[in-house]
Amino acid sequence: MIKKFFKSRGVRKFLRSKMAIASLGVISVYALVALVVFAGAISLDDVTNRVGVERMPGFLQQPSRELRLQAVDLRLKAMESVARRGADSTPEEQRRMLNELSLFERQVPDEMLFDEYSTLVVSARQAYDNTGDAQLEVEDLADELVAISEELHEMKSEGASAEDISALKDEQKQMQVELASIMPELDSLIDIVEAKMLQIQPIPKGMSGTIYKLRLSLGTDAKGASIAMKGLYSVKIAFQIGLIVSLISVFLGSFLGAAAAFYGGWVDNAVMWLVSTLSSIPYLVLMAVLIVAFRGTIFDDAQKPGLALVPVYTAFCLTFWIGTCRVVRGEVMKIKELEYVQAATSIGFGKSYILIKHIIPNTLHIMFINFSLGFIGAIKSEVILSFLGLGVKGQPSWGIMIAHAKDDVSSFFFWEVLTATLFMFGLVLAFNIVSDALQDAFDPKHV
Amino acid sequence: MSLLKVQNLVKQFPVHGGVLNRVVKKVNAVNGVSFEIAKGETFGVVGESGCGKSTLGKAVIRLINSTSGSIEYDSKVITNLSHKEMMPYRRRMQIIFQDPYSSLNPRLTINALLKEAIRFHNIIPANQMNDYIQALITKVGLRADSREKFPHEFSGGQRQRIGIARALALKPEFIVADEPVSALDVSIQAQVLNLMMDLREEFGLTILFISHDLKVVQHFCDRIMVMYLGFVVEMLPAEVLHDRASHPYTQALLGANPIDDPDDRHPLTVLQGDVPSPFNLPQGCPFVGRCPIAEDRCKTDRPSLESKGDGHQVACWKVE
Repeated sequence: MIKKFFKSRGVRKFLRSKMAIASLGVISVYALVALVVFAGAISLDDVTNRVGVERMPGFLQQPSRELRLQAVDLRLKAMESVARRGADSTPEEQRRMLNELSLFERQVPDEMLFDEYSTLVVSARQAYDNTGDAQLEVEDLADELVAISEELHEMKSEGASAEDISALKDEQKQMQVELASIMPELDSLIDIVEAKMLQIQPIPKGMSGTIYKLRLSLGTDAKGASIAMKGLYSVKIAFQIGLIVSLISVFLGSFLGAAAAFYGGWVDNAVMWLVSTLSSIPYLVLMAVLIVAFRGTIFDDAQKPGLALVPVYTAFCLTFWIGTCRVVRGEVMKIKELEYVQAATSIGFGKSYILIKHIIPNTLHIMFINFSLGFIGAIKSEVILSFLGLGVKGQPSWGIMIAHAKDDVSSFFFWEVLTATLFMFGLVLAFNIVSDALQDAFDPKHV
Repeated sequence: MSLLKVQNLVKQFPVHGGVLNRVVKKVNAVNGVSFEIAKGETFGVVGESGCGKSTLGKAVIRLINSTSGSIEYDSKVITNLSHKEMMPYRRRMQIIFQDPYSSLNPRLTINALLKEAIRFHNIIPANQMNDYIQALITKVGLRADSREKFPHEFSGGQRQRIGIARALALKPEFIVADEPVSALDVSIQAQVLNLMMDLREEFGLTILFISHDLKVVQHFCDRIMVMYLGFVVEMLPAEVLHDRASHPYTQALLGANPIDDPDDRHPLTVLQGDVPSPFNLPQGCPFVGRCPIAEDRCKTDRPSLESKGDGHQVACWKVE
């Protein structure tokens, strides 16, 4: 059976298209990620936990001076509080507290003693305080530079004399030089603090080191959570919605469409009435109505993210089967008048047997194509709905990532939007190419 | 003893329209056709496209239900038998279709489509199935290794042979051949016709042969029925077609037929005008609008089929 399938003309034609093969590869990578996430490799905690300061850039770039200082400050405070609380506790308590201190997904090494830890924290605090003067100086200089540039602007518009302007410009240049000379000093001071912190909580090595790097690879969002993890986790959501919605709607659509065309009469009238009624309702409106309808039930609980997706599935399935239904109905109407169906009747086969054995198999290519189109449609619609706050709840999705990144974009921080859109772009493009190739390969009109 | 007896068969196709989807008009495809086919006889039906000959063929084996009239097969009226009651007759009557490209399910191998039918009617025990199919395939002139191939791997002529094999697989006694060669090249036509002649001898088949090609029908059939606009206009034995055909429509058909001997040519009459609309049948003779010898009576009174002796029947006022 499988051998026969691979020998069939359509499949051979499909496999000849290199783009389609590449896209199938891309899709299977996505599917693998979805499976791995589904198996529990990335939990919801991984997605929401802080892995760094807010809005860190990706590709493991050195963050800006302010972000580095902010990160050091945050972590130092947490470390100091542990050192303070643990000072009078038993060694076991101290060990437990150190183990629990896993700020930004980094651990205090097991072999480190509490005393050792306390001294390191104290010296790190000193090193941090050392940066204070330089920090203040940098801040002052920066403030003054701003003031001077404002003054320059004002003088120019008031038409002050050339000497005054050039004098002020000289002063500005001097200050810039001064600032440039302090900067490396401040940087080296920060390096010292960070080195001390590294001693307390070293960057993990081996497998966990790779994961640590992966977490930071695409930066962090406005809450310090890993953008990479959110993007990867959303692959699972996309596949979940895409698969469930397109499977159900293709099944429903082909079943109703085939029945309508084959049995005709009142079956056809009923199905076509449903089709025209449902297709006149935009799914956004339907979605909003369903959200209201499901409010207060177990399907409206952000604590149970799986169940919270039920309204989304319902709205999509109710609207997506229509396209498949129309096409399958047309195809079955055509096929049932063909002579091989009449031949089957003349042999004496029953109606249902003819439908299942002779008609449905000849509409399979339509189902394939509609499945992949439905998959893309579901993913894209999910993003739109989630962006509007109607879709996914209690877990990340590409739509939610884009919605959250609204404020980031206005401050020129693009990592989250780019991650979400590129992840989606890859999957949708691959599916589009595959469904095009399917169309070419299986549609008898494209010979 | 006639195997098939058709009396006053009428088939109308309703046309739906309007807001309430009511029947607005009817296509009169077959209008009161009666004939008998004896066992072992090959009965030809000729006529131009749209004259209702395919509808007649399909109605006779109950692929479509007739509007009125009766079909008697082997002394049993089968006009209104249910699906279940019809089952034994389904095996005994088979059909060969015109278009070899749409008459085979593209998703079934030859083996699968033959096996399906044979198993359904328990024609042969399961352990002899392979040999039976093999013999059938060789009999219709296909290579033995064609069994596991799909229809698209065959040419038109080969496909038509498969269609014949499917019809013969059930060991039928009566076959409706609905223009079986008109979609094929002339050289292939001859091959398939010869094959059908051989098989007719071998299996003792009774055949209702539908065609628009007078030459093929004359060559292949024992008796010929000429149809026009759903009416029978003439019925006569094939061997006397040339000499005794007397209806002006049959004459026109014969005249339009190319003949290899110029001296033997039939006088050519070119018909004017179009076939009348099957929605509104003319009150008188269906052929009146195009008939070169029509008179006033033809417009008002419809001639019925009159016997002229020796199995020759004509429906025309002007034929003595």
